[in-house]
Amino acid sequence: MSEKEQEILQKLREELGDRIIQVQTTRNEKLLIQVKIGAHKDAIRKLLNEDRNAGVSAITGVDLGDVISIMYHIRVHGDVITIKVEVPKENAKTTTICDIIPGADFHEREVSDLFGVTFEGHPNPKRLILPDDWPQNIFPLRKDVETANLIRTLDSRKSLYNEKNVAEGENVKIVFGPQHPALIEPEMFSLEVDGEIVKRVEPRIGYVHRGIEKATEQRTYLQNIYLVERICGICNACHAACFCQTVEEIMGLNIPARAKYLRTIILELNRIHSHMLLLGHAGTEIGYETFFHYMWRDREPIMDVVEMLTGNRVLASFITIGGVRRDIDEKMIPKIKEKLAILKNKLPFYKNLFENDPTIKMRTKNVGILSRKDALKLCVVGPVARGSGVKMDVRKDEPYAAYGEIPFNMVTYDDGDSWARLMVRLDEISEGLDIIEYALENLPSGPYRVRAPRVVPAGEAIDRVEAPRGELFYYIKSNNTAYPERVKVRTPTFSNIRSFVNIAEGSNIADIPASLVSLDPCFSCTDR
Amino acid sequence: MSLELVFRVLVFPGFTFISLLTLICDWVERKIEARMQNRMGPTYTGKAGILQPFADFTKLLAKEDIVPRDSKKIFFKFAPIIAFSIFTFAIFFMPIDGANVLTNSSFEGDLVFVLSLVLIANFFLFLSGWASTNPYSVIGATRVLTQFLGYDIPLFILALAPAFLANSLSFSTIASAQNIPFAILIPWAFILFIATLQAELEKDPFDIPHAETEIVGGYETEYSGRRLAFLKLAKDTQIVLGAAIAVELYLGGPYGPVLFGLPEPSYALWFIVKVLFVVLITEYLTCVFARLRIDQVVVGNWKVLLPLSIVSLMLTIAVVVFSQLMGQGMM
Repeated sequence: MSEKEQEILQKLREELGDRIIQVQTTRNEKLLIQVKIGAHKDAIRKLLNEDRNAGVSAITGVDLGDVISIMYHIRVHGDVITIKVEVPKENAKTTTICDIIPGADFHEREVSDLFGVTFEGHPNPKRLILPDDWPQNIFPLRKDVETANLIRTLDSRKSLYNEKNVAEGENVKIVFGPQHPALIEPEMFSLEVDGEIVKRVEPRIGYVHRGIEKATEQRTYLQNIYLVERICGICNACHAACFCQTVEEIMGLNIPARAKYLRTIILELNRIHSHMLLLGHAGTEIGYETFFHYMWRDREPIMDVVEMLTGNRVLASFITIGGVRRDIDEKMIPKIKEKLAILKNKLPFYKNLFENDPTIKMRTKNVGILSRKDALKLCVVGPVARGSGVKMDVRKDEPYAAYGEIPFNMVTYDDGDSWARLMVRLDEISEGLDIIEYALENLPSGPYRVRAPRVVPAGEAIDRVEAPRGELFYYIKSNNTAYPERVKVRTPTFSNIRSFVNIAEGSNIADIPASLVSLDPCFSCTDR
Repeated sequence: MSLELVFRVLVFPGFTFISLLTLICDWVERKIEARMQNRMGPTYTGKAGILQPFADFTKLLAKEDIVPRDSKKIFFKFAPIIAFSIFTFAIFFMPIDGANVLTNSSFEGDLVFVLSLVLIANFFLFLSGWASTNPYSVIGATRVLTQFLGYDIPLFILALAPAFLANSLSFSTIASAQNIPFAILIPWAFILFIATLQAELEKDPFDIPHAETEIVGGYETEYSGRRLAFLKLAKDTQIVLGAAIAVELYLGGPYGPVLFGLPEPSYALWFIVKVLFVVLITEYLTCVFARLRIDQVVVGNWKVLLPLSIVSLMLTIAVVVFSQLMGQGMM
């Protein structure tokens, strides 16, 4: 526990007194404070006042038999402090924290859907992840729900979801998704429009929810690496890295230095190709197809490097518990550098294009503005936050892999518009290339993995990774078997998507795709 | 005599020729765009994929034709075909092989007539979307009209500039009056005309009615099968018509050096070459720009394009008057 945390804990003790039940630390020295029901709000308010950049990182529910524990993971000074309340399963009720931090909205709705916890006073307590015709009192992540029974129950239900597409009053309702050419993945935004102006936005996710969190509980840790990689194809290495780090921390396993560097390389390759994919996609959204084709053409060398390094083009399956699965060949290094140089030479052209092309500027500048204040209020993460001038990057705040040893700059823009969010990504590509180059030049020698035991001792840990789309959050609770007790995944898009409502309301229909794409939404991540 | 008329209307330079030219223009467009974007474009059907537009068209003809239950049936069914026939009919007034499709059908004022036909055809495109009663179609359709309000007047004004130079409102006279193409004499008007044409043809940066990432297929969303085929063909014919108008007004029409002592085929050849040249310019512009927003286009049209086109027309008139004065002075 750092001095800063001691200080915060002291302040919390003064504020709450005997309402604090227990103070623990997780396996990786993260503060975990259990408070009485109702006291969590005061505790969270205190934490939010502590740091101007504080926000809700995630809310985790865990079924502990008779009680459900709800953990509010609050990001304070770049670290995570957890406030925990335990509510009885029979009467699972607590008060909402949406009124003090609106970014908790989706997090609370998720817990409410999956654990059946009612958050009293929530402004919009509708279903978010489960379908609207889901049976009333089945909460899939509770331990008493058997997967096999669940399938039978769901197959026998009759009702079908049917929403009327007619808005009340004068406005026309346009349904943006679940199938729409601008959206590659299924999610829905109902837009109420007056002429070309959007008046109200109602997001709905969960169309491809796969219950991966539940599925992890039925698989061993080793199997789970491959499962969590499939949460998101594009940022698969980040999921594997975050999962493995968390497990390693519970085990107290130190991985070799070479593995740390190799992990950094694959994580940065992941970031670069994800950002390029998004930038090209942004091109199609604003009707600039040439840009799209150029960007995706130049993304190919990166995919080749990923294939060279890992043997796979997309799903790397490279990171494992205790290190990485294969070593880099010395002969490969000059080849990789050559490929990276191709992209590096092209970046000034794109930067110039973004800064000077009149049509790109007309479509992205001053479009979809998310002010710094709103960004903090809605707890956005990653490039979205950095585009609004919030200095937040897990790589800097809490360095993992080899990021603590590699020099790089955190890219921030203060404009807060679509343009700034895209520029953050463009600049991060060149930072990423530098990081990879540095890592290749300073690659330590030695083993690239250590053997890890199959059984993980009981404990819990929280870990974060800066995925291409922002902070990726994992909470794992183990129970001294080869199977985890609970794996909570909070993907970056889940935090970011709530801000789209604020961005879109009052804007032009034509700006909807351009501002949505600037958030880089990944809905297969969101619907785990 | 009547046999020749039938041949002219149905085969060359009439219906068949125009349809083939439309399909070839479509292929050229796709190929240019693909090459500029570092892609292959169509390659499979025919030599270098030249038959691809034809294959697409025939494929659509064979597909199921669905009419939505709530649509306004009459408009929905006939709007695409009427739009297509109006565009084709308008091309009949272009001198293609040195004469119009219907010989001697040219009259003083057919420039105004053709531009009005374009307006009516565009209105039918609007109707096709409006009759679908699908939110995307309705928004796409209103966008067609909104955009049209913006660029129709500048288009008309800019079409008048060559008319002043040639002192005529007939395509044949304007085309044959260009010993030096007007594009060289009054380049400012030509550049503006191409920009307006880009909007008229709904191409980037003005392809707002088709913005598929915002409103799916725009006014085409509900169409399928042969009606979609005709809607697509109408759009392609519109591109040929737009290019043909630009050719007749600014690029010297079908006239050029006579090859092998055969005036009529070489005129037709020049016409095709020039139309393809205009298509090349519009495709180039499509590739280098992102799509603008409807409000940006409307504001741009009224605040920039309209004043500029009026200024360029006045400048053209000034040039005409000045040269006439000079001519009188010399006499």
